Amino acid sequence: MEVPKGYQCKACGRVFHPKRRFCLGCGGDQFKELALEKEGTLLTFTKLHALTMDFTTRTLMLGIVEYPRGVRALGQLSTDKVEMGMKMRHRWEKVREINGQEIYGLKFYPASK
Amino acid sequence: MRDVAIIGCGMTKFGRREEDLLELLMEASLAAMKDAGLDHRSVDAVYVANMGAGILNYQTGVASALVDRLNLLPAPADTVENGPASGASAIKNAFLAIASGLYDSVLVVGGEKMRAVTGWEATDFVASMTHRQGEYIYGVTLPSLAGMFARLHMAKYGVKQEHLAMVAVKNHENGAKNPYAHIQQAVTMEGILLRPEAVVNNPPIAEPLRMYDCCPVSDGAAAVVLCAAEKAKDAPHPAVHIAGFGQATDIHAVYQRDDPLDLKAVRGAAKAAFEMARLCPQDIQVAELHDAFTILEIVESEQAGFFPVGQGHRALEEGATRLDGKLPINPSGGLKARGHPVGATGVAQVTELVWQLRGQAGERQVSQAVNGFCCNFGGFGNNVLAFVLSRE
Ligand SMILES: [Zn+2]
Repeated sequence: MEVPKGYQCKACGRVFHPKRRFCLGCGGDQFKELALEKEGTLLTFTKLHALTMDFTTRTLMLGIVEYPRGVRALGQLSTDKVEMGMKMRHRWEKVREINGQEIYGLKFYPASK
Repeated sequence: MRDVAIIGCGMTKFGRREEDLLELLMEASLAAMKDAGLDHRSVDAVYVANMGAGILNYQTGVASALVDRLNLLPAPADTVENGPASGASAIKNAFLAIASGLYDSVLVVGGEKMRAVTGWEATDFVASMTHRQGEYIYGVTLPSLAGMFARLHMAKYGVKQEHLAMVAVKNHENGAKNPYAHIQQAVTMEGILLRPEAVVNNPPIAEPLRMYDCCPVSDGAAAVVLCAAEKAKDAPHPAVHIAGFGQATDIHAVYQRDDPLDLKAVRGAAKAAFEMARLCPQDIQVAELHDAFTILEIVESEQAGFFPVGQGHRALEEGATRLDGKLPINPSGGLKARGHPVGATGVAQVTELVWQLRGQAGERQVSQAVNGFCCNFGGFGNNVLAFVLSRE
């Protein structure tokens, strides 16, 4: 199974997700691939009640997680029992279908579970 | 660079409209040309602001179609797409073309026909401007970005649900005085927040944001006629000058920004507009801000420099932004009540300022307005334009 990756700028060390052509910090274009840490902190979240097509659930939890090296990622949350600052662990799961095509991405679970 | 003036403006009523996109664009264009005292022979070029007719209405090449319908051939015409900031981008293009000396008078018209599709299709259409791999695939919509942003801002600055509702109450009160507004009905704090039935009247959309924190999905069009100031003397109405203009972009995915709460592009666009106008925020008597979500009016009022960062909700609380306050914000009702046909919004903001500066805003007229400011917010703040307008 695919592991969510970070891309570290070889010039300044800043990490990005997903991949970028140029570093936002220094403009560098050489990156080292690394695995994202398993655990991060939930920066903010929303419970979305107005979903677009392709979703069969009534609500969707979305959040932004900050990993130790400062890289952040947005993903779906497994539960609505969350609060800001909570530790979350990611899994790489199917997050959506677009036109019948399965799309994989980050899903965050509370770290205690 | 030549000075540029606005000599005419007009708009359709916003809301659910039966007419198709071209008919809406024509209605607004003809109103603006009439207001400017122009006939079809004196329009040098046309810019049409539209975000998604290709998707929403299966109509591409909108500007080419429109100049034919308006009998403006062979005037040069372009469609400008810059998301929800398309309107201001089209005005910018007209401004540059006149300032350079290439054209003397230009028609700018922005419009969108969004109610042609279902609500969830409209939501998905707008969401298509988010970062594909980092945001969109997860089900991100603009309300969800605004919800996550609001939660962060509220936690940091002590902004309460009541403050968000105050924006809605104020803007709906103003919208009730605007015959062009999508929603012309006042709402009360009790009805949308305090009474138990508020949960039903005002359900959650993207928590903590509720329905009354989000703008409606609208059809509509707005138009302005820009003219070289030196040639604006014969126009029927006193000219309103584009004193300053600014635009800035920011990182596409909101979560990748150094501080996701920092709307740098709003600050950059406003700063550039004030610098060009040689004015400061204290010189402004009326502002139209891009309140697609109530939280945005509060934050833009700070980032544009009207109030210190973290104090926007205090100013709101004190009534400073009401029609009779120190700095009335969104006298038109804003996107919240006037509605948000995405391509039309930036042009509608400028239209409202022109009416305010001419003293033609009727029941919602702000007193003693000499300089106005508007901010058209594209993406979730990744492409923002600002204008400072001044009356003679
Ligand atoms: Zn770098």
